Amino acid sequence: MMQQAKAFYEKYKVIILIVLAAVLAILPFVIKKTLYIRYLCNIMMYATLAGSLNAINGYSGQFCLGQAGFFAIGAYTGAALAKNFGISFWPLLIVGGLMAMVVGFIVSLPTLRLSGIYLSIVTLGASEIIRIIAQTWEPVTGGSMGIKQIPYPEFFGVDMFKPQNYYYIFLALLILFLFVTNRVLKSRVGRAWMSIREDEIASKSLGVETSRYKSTNFMYGAFWAGVIGVAYAPFVNYIEASQFTTDTGFNVLAMVVLGGQGTLAGPILGSVVVTVLTEALRFLESWRYVIYALLIIFMMWVRPQGLMGASNSMLAGGKIKVKEEKKKGGEAK
Amino acid sequence: MEYILNQLINGICQGSIYALMAIGYSVIVGVVGMVTFTYGEIMMIGAFSSYYIFTGLSNNLPLAILGAFAGSFIIGSIVYKLCYERFFNAPRHISLLCTIGISMLIKNLAQIVFGPDTKPVLNVIDNTTFTLNLFGANLNIRLLQIVVIVLVIVFAVALTLFFNKTKWGVMLRAVSQNKDASYLMGISVKRTALLGNCIGCGFGGIAGILLALYYGSVSATMGASYSTKAFAASVLGGLVDIRFSALGGLCIGIIENMGIIFTSATFRDVFAFAFLILILIIRPQGFVSKKGARV
Amino acid sequence: MKKRILALTLTFALAASVLAGCGGDDKKEETKAPETQAAGGDETQAAGGDETKAETEAAAPEGGESKGVIKLGGLAPLTGQYAEYGKGFDIGFHKAIDEINAAGGVNGYTFEIDIKDTQSEPVTTSTMATAFAEDDEIMALLGDFSSGACKATAQICDSYGILQLSPTASASDYAAMSKYFFGIMGRQDVEAPFLAKYVLKEYLKAQKIAVIRVDSDWGKSCYDNFIAQAEKEQLDVTVETYATGEKDFSSLITKMQAENPDVLVVMDQGDPVADIFNQADAAGWKIQHVALGPGTSEQVVGRLNDKDNLIVTSPFFFDPDDAELTAWAEWFQGEAGFAPTIHPACAYDCVYLLAEAVKSIDGEVTRENLRDALANLPEYTGVTGSIKFEEDGDIKRNYMICGIEGGEWKVLEGFEFGAAGF
Repeated sequence: MMQQAKAFYEKYKVIILIVLAAVLAILPFVIKKTLYIRYLCNIMMYATLAGSLNAINGYSGQFCLGQAGFFAIGAYTGAALAKNFGISFWPLLIVGGLMAMVVGFIVSLPTLRLSGIYLSIVTLGASEIIRIIAQTWEPVTGGSMGIKQIPYPEFFGVDMFKPQNYYYIFLALLILFLFVTNRVLKSRVGRAWMSIREDEIASKSLGVETSRYKSTNFMYGAFWAGVIGVAYAPFVNYIEASQFTTDTGFNVLAMVVLGGQGTLAGPILGSVVVTVLTEALRFLESWRYVIYALLIIFMMWVRPQGLMGASNSMLAGGKIKVKEEKKKGGEAK
Repeated sequence: MEYILNQLINGICQGSIYALMAIGYSVIVGVVGMVTFTYGEIMMIGAFSSYYIFTGLSNNLPLAILGAFAGSFIIGSIVYKLCYERFFNAPRHISLLCTIGISMLIKNLAQIVFGPDTKPVLNVIDNTTFTLNLFGANLNIRLLQIVVIVLVIVFAVALTLFFNKTKWGVMLRAVSQNKDASYLMGISVKRTALLGNCIGCGFGGIAGILLALYYGSVSATMGASYSTKAFAASVLGGLVDIRFSALGGLCIGIIENMGIIFTSATFRDVFAFAFLILILIIRPQGFVSKKGARV
Repeated sequence: MKKRILALTLTFALAASVLAGCGGDDKKEETKAPETQAAGGDETQAAGGDETKAETEAAAPEGGESKGVIKLGGLAPLTGQYAEYGKGFDIGFHKAIDEINAAGGVNGYTFEIDIKDTQSEPVTTSTMATAFAEDDEIMALLGDFSSGACKATAQICDSYGILQLSPTASASDYAAMSKYFFGIMGRQDVEAPFLAKYVLKEYLKAQKIAVIRVDSDWGKSCYDNFIAQAEKEQLDVTVETYATGEKDFSSLITKMQAENPDVLVVMDQGDPVADIFNQADAAGWKIQHVALGPGTSEQVVGRLNDKDNLIVTSPFFFDPDDAELTAWAEWFQGEAGFAPTIHPACAYDCVYLLAEAVKSIDGEVTRENLRDALANLPEYTGVTGSIKFEEDGDIKRNYMICGIEGGEWKVLEGFEFGAAGF
């Protein structure tokens, strides 16, 4: 059945995507409640952010825990420049992205010699250092006061305060991100990333300059995190350092893993699930996060490879199957 | 000079608590082979176990340590069942997310069960300060600091002896070094890993009670920042080596407190992480010289 | 494969149910007040409110002179690091509402509150504020706890024309951000200078001051106001900051001890205050303790090692001679399991302030006239003392100097001590 669905999708790919885009485009006219539009904005924002993390974790197999840091760089760059120098939102998207990319490059330098968990702790530490700098560098980031009343983007006089309109910014960014990432992944660069993910030594021996590609990969993920950070700042209108803690990073990581690493649709699905769950469980009051945590663990038990998990990658929990086969064959460990 | 030496004493004391955390953490990572983000909450459980013993029974420190060890030990076995056992051969990020989930679960459950307010842990140890005169400088050392440092040393030595002198210790080391080989040698890898995880958690619990004593309070959210510190310290030590992890913890504690001499305490974590990153750039495997750790 | 399909189906079912939920609500929304969504302007909102009120009135004719229910939207950190205060808000709001309703309501109106958990996180707070603002039945927002979270809703309150009354936001730039913003905690530009001039200079006659403060927007604006006055008084101030959530203060204390000051001042709300003083005691440092922020918090006292050494500024305290206040504090303790700070008392007063505002309105209550009524409210004396809104929508409180004797709060100098002003 899954095969048929896939075949169906391949056959009518263009039509399906156009219909999907059209549905998403008219949603703000159909859904009247601003609150739900806000949720949709959150979902799309986190989907892009999770996607940017997925570009690192899912495609080159590096394990980054510090996406909140790159996100913060984008948000603060955008907010500070817009607020202090009145620079328009649209070029700032690029500036914020590039800024995060530069930081991503710096972070990637020590990580080139490191792998696995050593790399994770460096990214985690870098993210914390970025947060603390944001918390203390008063002239630029407002220090502990944060930056408030960030100017809204201007677009031919459309009132961007309304989430109904801001929705299209996030939608456009998400589609752009998916489109570009899809192209990149199918290019030489993307294939190099995936070869590193599957077997770094093998790909090195086949002539892939792994360190260069790992670095590019980091920069690519950081760039998109920065871009979405720029878009995030005016949306919430007020940013402060406590919005970019490691918990934010873990939350995004949860979306990627729940949705399925190494798939384009996974982070989107993860973002939907996480946002919907945290909102739907609101009635439980203080039990909300208890149940939410239980559901996360439950989902990992039922489907460790993520909801969309690509089955042909080692990330997809392929080894679990091997283990279970072993179990059937020999004695359990 | 006097001031710097006094800061050094603070640093050593805090560093030795970090060292104990790092020891527990590296036992877990070594034996289980996977990192955990539940460690902060494990310490919190240990701290609360001791808090309830102090308020409910008596100010009996050995009993409280036993209680903290037991409390964290039990939680550790639950964490093992939920996060590790099933995912031994699965990619690392899966069990990692599970530990993040458990951490969220324990933290929020604790806020409901223990209450959201911070609770005091006072006067377990007398407020005595000894003043040492060293080359004309007055050094203030608190009885509490001495107790903390002595306890850390005692437990570190006890654990080393356990690892080197007992049959279980040897099994744990074997599993830590090579799971498949130990399996072939007839060691029950799963049971040993469970034990290792629980012992590591138990040490986390003891670190928790030391934190409670040293800072004079316990709260449901206290664990969060220490989890990353323990992680960082044990990475410094090469993740699986107990002695080097302890050294890593001590270094981080001292660096943090010495950094405060020059700037403000807000930068505490910057010092800790910058030091870690610097060391990792110079020595990608931490302090340990040998390569080949599983993680 | 089956599992994968199952999981996917579940997800889509979840998503679909939410979208369906939207759809359902839309229809209800459309039949009720189709024009409400169009502009989000004050007038339409008010009109929507009227219509709803009329409906409820018609629906409940047997309630005698009951005009209906005034619904309030509560924003509180029920989980997360501020959960303790969130719980206090929850109890404070509900107690006031229960009392008012039991007494037959105000002008024929009874009150109702729906409290949403925000963790005092700006993003969640603004989302929840939008949810309330969109619901025409909600007449006012109560909350949030932290100044940061409160500030995040400025744009929303402005465009929906709904007032936000925060029990605890005290940043001096908070209330000025929007004409719909109100706060009753008292502004730091009064309390902090009071501390410098009256407590330190005149009462304690101190010269060299060591300040340890939290690095938050609250702590910063507190300190900025404090240092301005301290310079006028020619006090010699050394300051150190720490990040929110810090537990280990031993190195800060050693650093301060080396400066050899006369007084140690801590600026923070709640837990770290007790931690810092306890750790200073444990380090064998004998010094006068002064705190700005916690007020006469029973919780801080309960956690202090050397209780009698603390002096605070406070606009009010749970006077053991005041039967009503003591009963209130005891009741709170029974309900919450911990002693009250000023925060739940402020939450309690907030509801009464709104009730007073409703009382002063003739005819229908709308969001807009509720705001105006609240802004123009004459002086009101609540649990936390006298409240009269300034131009910006916040209040200036009077402060007294309180200390502890034998574990009980005592007024050392009353309100008249600082009456001379600055």
